Amino acid sequence: MTVILEILKGNDAKILRHDEKVILALVPNDKLRTTAELLFKAGCYYATGVGVDERLLGVGFSMYHIFNCESEKRYVILKAVANNSKIPSITPIISGANWAEREAMDMVGIFFDEHPEPLRLILPDDWPEGVHPLRKEFHYNERPPRIEFKPPKKEKKPGVMEVPVGPYHPTLHEPEVFELHVKGEEIVGAVYRGFHVHRGLEKLAEERMTINQIPFLAERICGICGYTHNCAYAQAVEDAAKIEVPERALYIRTILLELERLHSHLLWFGVAFHLLGFDSGFMHTWRIREAFMDLAELLTGNRKTYGMNLIGGVRRDIDEEKKKKVLEIFEKTKKETKEVLDNAAGMKELTSRMEGVGVLPKKEGREIGVVGPVARASGIDTDVRRDHPYAAYGDLEFKVPVYKEGDVLARFLVRYEETFESFWIIEQALDQLPPGDILNEDYELPEYAVGIGATEAPRGEDVHFVITEGGNKVYRWRPRAPTYNNLPAVPIMLMGEKLADAPIIIASIDPCFSCTDHMVIVDGEKVCRCSLDDYLRRL
Amino acid sequence: MSTIFIAINLAFALLIAPVIDSFERKIRARLQNRQGPSILQTWWDLIKLFKRPTVEPQDSVKSLYKLAPYVTFTAVLTAYLIVPTLLPSSINFIGDFIVVVYLLGLATLSFVIGAFSSGNSYAQIGSNREVSLFMSEELLLAFIVGTIAVIGKSLSFDQLFPLPLRVSSALALILLFLVIYVASARLPFDIAEAEPEIIEGPLIEYSGKHLGLLEYSIFLKRLLLYSLLLNFIIPVQNPTRLIGYLIGIVVLSVIYSTFEAYYGRFRIDQAVKLMKKLSAVALVVWIIAVVGW
Repeated sequence: MTVILEILKGNDAKILRHDEKVILALVPNDKLRTTAELLFKAGCYYATGVGVDERLLGVGFSMYHIFNCESEKRYVILKAVANNSKIPSITPIISGANWAEREAMDMVGIFFDEHPEPLRLILPDDWPEGVHPLRKEFHYNERPPRIEFKPPKKEKKPGVMEVPVGPYHPTLHEPEVFELHVKGEEIVGAVYRGFHVHRGLEKLAEERMTINQIPFLAERICGICGYTHNCAYAQAVEDAAKIEVPERALYIRTILLELERLHSHLLWFGVAFHLLGFDSGFMHTWRIREAFMDLAELLTGNRKTYGMNLIGGVRRDIDEEKKKKVLEIFEKTKKETKEVLDNAAGMKELTSRMEGVGVLPKKEGREIGVVGPVARASGIDTDVRRDHPYAAYGDLEFKVPVYKEGDVLARFLVRYEETFESFWIIEQALDQLPPGDILNEDYELPEYAVGIGATEAPRGEDVHFVITEGGNKVYRWRPRAPTYNNLPAVPIMLMGEKLADAPIIIASIDPCFSCTDHMVIVDGEKVCRCSLDDYLRRL
Repeated sequence: MSTIFIAINLAFALLIAPVIDSFERKIRARLQNRQGPSILQTWWDLIKLFKRPTVEPQDSVKSLYKLAPYVTFTAVLTAYLIVPTLLPSSINFIGDFIVVVYLLGLATLSFVIGAFSSGNSYAQIGSNREVSLFMSEELLLAFIVGTIAVIGKSLSFDQLFPLPLRVSSALALILLFLVIYVASARLPFDIAEAEPEIIEGPLIEYSGKHLGLLEYSIFLKRLLLYSLLLNFIIPVQNPTRLIGYLIGIVVLSVIYSTFEAYYGRFRIDQAVKLMKKLSAVALVVWIIAVVGW
């Protein structure tokens, strides 16, 4: 604790908030880089960064760098205010900040001094310069005119073939591109280009929705792990407004979060088997997964997209009869899951395709800030459930599997062990389910309070950052999906590997692209027909 | 008379090869907890493909690209004149065994050349893999042909069908059984196509009737290899040959497709390594045959 406070005080930081969850400090721009460096060395890894247009608050543009300090069980947020739209970049020190800073550059228009790669990340190439969608004067239904764009000519290297994996490829179930440079069968270079399906959720939430509508929007960020986003958002608002959530609601959230992890992990096992050509394993894991979908329907009324959370609790209770039914189904599915996964783990052709493939060393992993099973397979002992207990995880007992090999097999084994931990957590939570209310509606939203909510999604740490606006609105909401932190590690994993292994390596982080991407749709029919100058003047 | 019988054989192969494929799909589906398609599904697929227009990619060498499917198809079909299927009639001459091996080689080669001429990078990677797999399986096949020739003291099928019952002939047939599995591009050896990795590799740019012809040749090639193996086992002059042959085809399909359902895909280097090991075994079998066991 003291270490972090000393670092902050040593750098003239003004502490704005300090409690058992979060430390928020305003850091002067000239000290930002040293502070970030010292925090990183003290064992905090870079979770994400959020650019905010705070001009309406009389502040200007600001950047919130969020660090996850596991050893201190706190999130440390460094706030920096742009001076003439400029803030020093911390990417040269912490490579994990690269995407977050570029996103703030695109969306809010903050410029980062000495950023090594100041290129567009999210905005499409035909988007006009100087228009930043997350500035407050830009409205969610705007259609700026397109600009002419010529793709740069690519140099051809002799002997190197360019193999595009994406935007349409059977390996990826969502539109993203990995450009693989291949020599024979060996991969000698890999470039990732993503953010093709940005849906402008943040803008929509800020401008059109109320705090109790956003949970349903948040759940639609992802088609697999939606509930975890929903929870993280609710927790962020509850954290900002200091809302007390009834204990029974916390337990119900825990049960559903783990149920989601079970179905998500089984889905991943199926996809992994399919990519390795083992379709029988794929079909059988998905057969078992069906039971969990039925369970979700039993508990929430929906197979997926549960729609269970509101700020301050949940919408449906779990009664004794449902409890009994869940335990009944569990007994059968646990056995089946073990049987199928053990059979697969015992197959030498499968394990030999995964062993020693796609290695991510611990040091690189830490710099990028990888999370979840990817981090735990590379020897990084991190788990939000244990480090920053939320929902009912503080009262429950579970193990966090860690492997040091860092290859695809290690990621497989981490998920394998987690699957059975999830069974155990749900059994405990059902057993200890406390009586009482499930929803607390007695709260008031403070003005401009900062809140942070983090959950351990099946793919890793999921961070939501919220600034409230008072009334029933949020001023800024920024979800950061786990894949956002894991994707930059994929090119490192791919280097030097065989092309045949590329699909399983990409899949080994369990990528969820739609979670990661959030672009304003440019529809040719509806764009503004005015000239760019007119448009900019109007803004 | 013989010409009519050969024509019947050819018609049988053309009609039944796709049915065998859908039969195997059905078995795999049942093993994977699925309902599976109808037994005629592969036929419907082929008919649909033949109705569709074909598209030639811009970067392709058009003449080669268009010629390749026909060469592949004809090469496989010609082999049916030499290897008897339903009825024990065929054109036989000295060295016809070698000709069949060459025809199968020609089919693979034109398949690969067609893929290379499409100019697609996935197709090129796929063809690369196809060639390396073909080379390693060719060595093994050469040893098996050698062994069988030594056992039957001939290179003509009418002297070789069926093989005398010996240790070496049993071993040679087991190896042939494995080579057929590899040559018919099944998991874990469907490395050249590998749908999730390189999107069907050599076939990626083909469409319409060209794709149909190539797929048809793959099914015909499988049936040809089955018939080859069965001919070595079933006695020729026996009246029960027909029943034995049909049962044999079904048994082989069941075994092969069950195998296929329980395997993941090899990487090309793993597959080549395995083929090298098998080639060493084949060399030993050849020595056993020469010794006279």
